[in-house]
Amino acid sequence: MDVKLQWEATSKRVITREEWERKLNDVKTRKEDMNKLVMNFLVTEGYVEAAEKFRMESGTEPDIDIATITDRMAVKKAVQCGNVEDAIEKVNDLNPEILDTNPQLFFHLQQQRLIELIRNGKVEEALEFAQEELAPRGEENQSFLEELEKTVALLAFEDVSNCPVGELLDISQRLKTASEVNAAILTSQSHEKDPKLPSLLKMLIWAQNQLDEKAAYPRINDLSTATLEDPAV
Amino acid sequence: MPTSASASAPAPPSASQATARHHSELLSRLSSPDAQVQVKALRDLKNRIIGNRTKKLSFIKLGLVPAVADILASAADAGADRDSNLLIQSAAVVGSFACGFDAGVLAVLDAGVFPSLVRLLSHPDEKVVDSGARSLRMIYQSKLAPKYDFLEQKSMEFLLSLLNSENENVTGLGASIIMHSCETVEEQNALSQAGVLKKLIGLLEGSLNQRDASLESLATIIKNNVEAVSMFVGSESGRALSSVVALTKDRYPRTRLLASTCLIVIRNTSPCYLQDIGIKTKLVHLLLELHDDLGQVGDESSFALSSLIAEKEDMQKIALEANAIDKLYNHLKKAVLNSKRVEGILLAMADLCSKLESCRSKFFSLKALNLVIDALTHDSSSVRAAACICLRSIFRSIKSLCAGDFMDEIIMIPLVRLLHDRCTSVQLAALSAIGNIVVDFSKRRSIFIQCGGLQQLVQLSKSMDSDLTVNALGALRNLVFLADYTCKESIFGELTASLLASLVCDSEPSVQEQALALLRNLVDGCMDSIEFVFAEDGIILDAIGRQLQSAFKAEIGIQGMYVLCNVASGNEFHKEAVMDQLVPQVDNGTQSFVIQFLQSSDSQLRTAVVWTIVNLTFPSIPGAFGRVAKLRNAGIVSQMKNMVNDPCLEVKLRVRTALGQFMTFGDGST
Repeated sequence: MDVKLQWEATSKRVITREEWERKLNDVKTRKEDMNKLVMNFLVTEGYVEAAEKFRMESGTEPDIDIATITDRMAVKKAVQCGNVEDAIEKVNDLNPEILDTNPQLFFHLQQQRLIELIRNGKVEEALEFAQEELAPRGEENQSFLEELEKTVALLAFEDVSNCPVGELLDISQRLKTASEVNAAILTSQSHEKDPKLPSLLKMLIWAQNQLDEKAAYPRINDLSTATLEDPAV
Repeated sequence: MPTSASASAPAPPSASQATARHHSELLSRLSSPDAQVQVKALRDLKNRIIGNRTKKLSFIKLGLVPAVADILASAADAGADRDSNLLIQSAAVVGSFACGFDAGVLAVLDAGVFPSLVRLLSHPDEKVVDSGARSLRMIYQSKLAPKYDFLEQKSMEFLLSLLNSENENVTGLGASIIMHSCETVEEQNALSQAGVLKKLIGLLEGSLNQRDASLESLATIIKNNVEAVSMFVGSESGRALSSVVALTKDRYPRTRLLASTCLIVIRNTSPCYLQDIGIKTKLVHLLLELHDDLGQVGDESSFALSSLIAEKEDMQKIALEANAIDKLYNHLKKAVLNSKRVEGILLAMADLCSKLESCRSKFFSLKALNLVIDALTHDSSSVRAAACICLRSIFRSIKSLCAGDFMDEIIMIPLVRLLHDRCTSVQLAALSAIGNIVVDFSKRRSIFIQCGGLQQLVQLSKSMDSDLTVNALGALRNLVFLADYTCKESIFGELTASLLASLVCDSEPSVQEQALALLRNLVDGCMDSIEFVFAEDGIILDAIGRQLQSAFKAEIGIQGMYVLCNVASGNEFHKEAVMDQLVPQVDNGTQSFVIQFLQSSDSQLRTAVVWTIVNLTFPSIPGAFGRVAKLRNAGIVSQMKNMVNDPCLEVKLRVRTALGQFMTFGDGST
């Protein structure tokens, strides 16, 4: 084992910074492609103003109608602020098919609505809502029923911040629901639900890991600055 | 300490009470003269029903759909200058009612919304068009949607106008209409010749949703149509096919599934395409991997796998090598599965185990049988039927029948219970499984009879549904196959001679055939069992004779002749009775059916007749001489002389045996 590792270590090729930068310079990337990636990120993540500005400055056309981003962001924001009913109505105005054909998303939005009612201490309203809106969905689907039971359990605790299902009241739950709606709206608009940039970064990390086994080279360790770090020889 | 919040809360009103309260208030707002009030009421209604099947149903029952349909119709009449919002909202409500269940589609169609929605497609406001197209698409998800006849030019023009639209919802609607309406080869040809195929190939380059819709309707147009497949494969010098192949690697599981379904359709229609081992293996792996999807794609992937491997041994082998049985079993083991998923996996298992012993032994080694047996008592009738189909396939070989031996009672009790399932398809599937399980195993037979299976089968053989009768008779036929006399006796006692005679004379030829085949197995073997056809003054034998006189289907002739052939192997009395059927006493100038059968083009029928005659004329038996004379008088001997060089080897050999037997009595023809 030791012998093998040693052999691997000694057999690795070392690529110097100059050599690496020269190779990098040989790779031609079109500026328009880079711009498209940036635009794709802005549009998917919903940065309307930035996308609009970027379009004017770079001349890159977004692959989706910018007006629809505003609507999508309004929905996302409503969920993030806890105005779930408002968000549902907005989605239904945008495209009534989304919630009608996506029972899981619909359930999660209704569950979020219940969570907000409980958060605001509206116990009676919460119970009525759970019974009328959520219980029938639980009957249709076993996993919904389990989630519903977990949510209703919030009512049983005086100190919700310290109960086993307390994480439902966390702000992260709202963000989770919001991003689920966001993705569904994008899919309904024939748009990919994730921006391309993060998956490119994942590919970069994967490629570096593959290369690590064969060579020592200037690696990018800090993705936010993308600085090349000298190989440790 | 947790406190109980629900104890102090007053009981909330029940859901239906709340709905009814909303209903009357909504109805008055919907019929308001003020369009703004109407729009608001429609929007409220829409937000209440979307995603909520319970509410949709209660609002339908309360009669809200016609009110909405009226608004839609009058707003559509008012033309483009009217407020678009009223159209958008009413179309959306209608679409939501139609989404996801047939009761909704029915209510919507009954209210007459279809023409109004179609009119919205040519509205100048794009949002109105979107709304109309979406709602029509919802309707087209259901079998109840109206069909377009593509052989009519007007329908074709309408469809092409949809597919040529810039609006994604409208092209999607076009694709849905194709999937729903295109059924016959003529329609497929009309569509491909009118340029629809070309248009759909173009849409493969479109948006994500257009790609999926195009793949699905392409499969509809080329399915089982060799001409359309070769037109597709040859399109754009093969580029169309390559792009479908490329889409099997797409990021989206749904697209991958649809692309592979399309390739499977091509392969199954024209086996000359997609034969290289690489693509075959890739499809199997892809479909297995798609089972991991938790939604609809995962549910449908088993059905696609089935169509890829059904009836194809090479594909089943590839699937076995790809660990398909292990993988499907692991999915089936999961506790929370919807019924569609369970059904699909069971059917795929059935196809996998339908031919290869290696697949069946893998199945047994995993102890997968227990899961299939559990599924026999599943809530869903489709799952119960699928479990039966799976059992039938697993027990197709003697080897696996032995492997499942220890399971006898555990399988038999629920299976017999399924014979009186409320759903005919389950009964049929159970019958076919029983047919394979009871064959040739005395221990299993007696367990089956102990479980009350025999009475059930006899009951079903009297069913009004001829499919059920045929299958019940088929199972009974296997039950008596090579059974011992006591077993046959109890079966015959349950069936009775009069029932058998009336089944032989049933109006349905397939029932006649199965009844005769059952009798053939019943009288096969010992001399005592031949007596069965003589019960009640020989009504069975007479019925057989009558059927053979008028038989116009070779299959009925074959089974009937084999009954007589088995009877003719009995004693002198038996042989004479058969003679009476073959050569009627009263000579009214009609030719015996035996001559007709001997001249038949069906070699199996000729074989059956010649065998019977061989049995009747064994020279060592005293009455044989008289029978040969009768046969000669009826012209049967001379007919047989013409057959010494019959193209069928077996007929030829048996004819020579018979002629040899005739010779021992001297050839009276000279």
